[in-house]
Amino acid sequence: MLVVENIQKHFDGFKAVNGACLSVETGEIVAVIGPNGAGKTTLFNLITGQLKPDGGKITFSDEDITFLPPHRICKKGIARSFQIANIFHRLTVFRNVQVSVLSQKTRNLNVFFPSDRFFVEETRAIMESVGLADKDREIAGALSHGDRRLLEIAVALGNEPRLLILDEPTAGMSPEETATTIQLIKRLADTRGLTILFCEHDMDVVFDVSHRIMVMEQGRTLIQGAPEEIKKNPEVQRAYLGNE
Amino acid sequence: MEADQAVFLSAVGNHFLVGISRAMILFVVSAGLSFILGVLRVPNVAHGSLYMIGAFFAHSVTTVFGGNPLGFWLALLLAPLMVAAVSLVAERALFCHLYEREHLMLLLFTFALMLILGDLVKLVWGADYRSVTAPKILQGSLTLFSSPIPKYNLFLLAVGPVIAVALYLFSNKTRIGKIARAAALDREMVSAIGINVSWVFSFAFVLGCFLAGLGGALVAPTVSVTLGMDHDIIIEAFLIVTIGGLGNMWGAMAGSLIFGITQSFGVLILPQFAIVFPYLAVVIVLLLKPKGLLKSVW
Amino acid sequence: MPVASRKRILPVFNVLLLGLLTVIPSILPLFYIYIFSVIFVTAILAMSLNMVVGHGGLYQFHHGVFYGIGAYTLALMLTKTELPIWAGFLAGPFCAAFAGLIIGLFCIRLNRLYFAMLQISLGSLVWAVTFRWYKFTGGDDGIHGISLPDALLGIHRAYYVILAVMAVCLILMYRIYKSPFGITLRAIRDNPERCAAIGINVRMHQLFAIVLATFFAGVAGVLFVVVERSVFPDLMFWVLSLEIMIMCLLGGWFTFAGPILGAAIMVSLRTFAGVYTEYWTLILGVLLILLIFFLPEGVMGYLMKKIQPRKADS
Repeated sequence: MLVVENIQKHFDGFKAVNGACLSVETGEIVAVIGPNGAGKTTLFNLITGQLKPDGGKITFSDEDITFLPPHRICKKGIARSFQIANIFHRLTVFRNVQVSVLSQKTRNLNVFFPSDRFFVEETRAIMESVGLADKDREIAGALSHGDRRLLEIAVALGNEPRLLILDEPTAGMSPEETATTIQLIKRLADTRGLTILFCEHDMDVVFDVSHRIMVMEQGRTLIQGAPEEIKKNPEVQRAYLGNE
Repeated sequence: MEADQAVFLSAVGNHFLVGISRAMILFVVSAGLSFILGVLRVPNVAHGSLYMIGAFFAHSVTTVFGGNPLGFWLALLLAPLMVAAVSLVAERALFCHLYEREHLMLLLFTFALMLILGDLVKLVWGADYRSVTAPKILQGSLTLFSSPIPKYNLFLLAVGPVIAVALYLFSNKTRIGKIARAAALDREMVSAIGINVSWVFSFAFVLGCFLAGLGGALVAPTVSVTLGMDHDIIIEAFLIVTIGGLGNMWGAMAGSLIFGITQSFGVLILPQFAIVFPYLAVVIVLLLKPKGLLKSVW
Repeated sequence: MPVASRKRILPVFNVLLLGLLTVIPSILPLFYIYIFSVIFVTAILAMSLNMVVGHGGLYQFHHGVFYGIGAYTLALMLTKTELPIWAGFLAGPFCAAFAGLIIGLFCIRLNRLYFAMLQISLGSLVWAVTFRWYKFTGGDDGIHGISLPDALLGIHRAYYVILAVMAVCLILMYRIYKSPFGITLRAIRDNPERCAAIGINVRMHQLFAIVLATFFAGVAGVLFVVVERSVFPDLMFWVLSLEIMIMCLLGGWFTFAGPILGAAIMVSLRTFAGVYTEYWTLILGVLLILLIFFLPEGVMGYLMKKIQPRKADS
């Protein structure tokens, strides 16, 4: 579904991503792991178009999306969440999700009808699926940290993506919140048939949910494979998991 | 016939020299604006008012000294210092509490400052026209290439580059200058190495305002000092800084020259629309290079 | 206060207010009718600016230019051509919107401060041309004593026309505010990067907002001619543009009706302070500083927070 080939990104000579490769098949949950500064977030930003690569190629459903602007990439069916909660902090929770649904249905330029007539059901369904249904009238900026992370995912779901990219979905969450979020991710993959690509520091989470894992180090892809394969790989153990 | 042509050409040449000397004043003012933009990232709308106050201070100082030529030279020094003092008070009392706020608020604050300073000038000096007399050595004209050019404009032509070089040396060779430049690029880093960023900002703001005051003092002998002289200069300085590249001192110089030269050119070919020419030049530059001619510091 | 009851009170309040405003000309002296007309015109202008600044998050620093273009278009059509007046009334807003589109196209490529600076430059060019083109625009004198058709003569008739136009404009702006576009615009203000990531073409939407806002600024410009029967280049001077911005700040950036309040306060303050002192701008400056420090969300924003903390109407 998604194929990243030898992608490069330099910042003032610093090679943040230096030849990363990644493949994601339809219906998979793929995790990207690697130490801090390995280039995971940069890789995601390259895939979704926030950054323009200096080399390499990204294809999605056999289509070259390497140099498309973010909004076009999104329309192809890739939605994402951000590491730092990246929401519309002055709007209500409901509107946050609705904007995304409106965008998916290309109704953003409608100036004549009240937006309360648009996709209320769809929006509510998404908020229910992430467990924010009772907070619909709260201002997003006033939510708790955990709820903001959930809203992040809800906004991404509004786009009805085929591929959902999550950048550290459980960062800063309490153990209970983490558990709920993992359940959510699994449920999304099962019920909506979503393909999910995520990166994560918590190794328990990674090995719990993912079908395949890609390991990054210093901007390169070390290996991509099934969790058992990764666990056994001596290079990964040395570089990242540590010899236990 | 040939002699006539030579006279005409030298008249045109001197006309442009006068234009460039006016550009030197624009440079002094816009370099100050650019410095503040570079470090604080705030377009200081009150800059024109400080320029006007500089001119009024210069008037007051020369008046105190009567006809003594010393008065003018002292005014060139004291007027900018007084303007710097005014800006220091405004900065420490009010402005410095806003650094964490949105840019729009900082800009609106400088607008408020402009409104207040404008009326304060009216309160202190009244709405009359004032004039500043240049000392004897700078009065009259010199004949250059067989046509006359005012000595004061030649003086300005000399002063502009001196100030440019002084500013360059200051921001590249002195410690405080380097810190200010570093703060423009990366605030967090500067505060991380234990420098009080608020004071760096304060310093940059005051220095910028000092230059505005200096511009006002320099321009005073060539114009009638009066209310409203702030409005035109600020928009000109804004445009100059924009085409030069925000925060770039040499950009301010390039922008001022473009401004001064196109204006003199306009006066020659279409006097009625002379003020339109520099604006047109600005628009053309910005359409080609929306971020200015030279690299912005941020 | 519960949201439901607010929803019921608001229309009643609006109708009452409109009723009050329609009877005003028969009870107040002429001068006040004039002041009210000025407030209405200024309110449309401030509302139009707030559409892009408060709701769109754009640094629209030279909004006055579009106001001026609207006013000059009508004034020039009335004095230089034989076209019917309604043509001028239509042309004003459309010319302003067209200018908004052109200037917007250039500015929209840039972000924040660069956007602002480029707009000030382009706007100042328009101002400089208007200021100097004596033969066409009247130069710095402007155009005075523009003759209007009978239906608009006399401040009473003008008042009702302006009131009606303002009501229509406010209804339209409210619809835009509540529409999917309005919400999208506020989302872009809060987080343009995220908007791009959910598939919104940020620049296109911002440009559309500028066109809409400049259209309404043009409407305000046309109405200015109806009230004052004159135009002058100060309408396009950058100081006016910043003053409109203060109105938005004063009323409340993030509210819908705030700028109306801001315009009303500013116009009345200027009128009545002007009677007692010639230092009106000093007062304005002090007021602005107080606002920045103590009421950054404006009068309306402050009240809204008091009434319904943490819940918002968006």
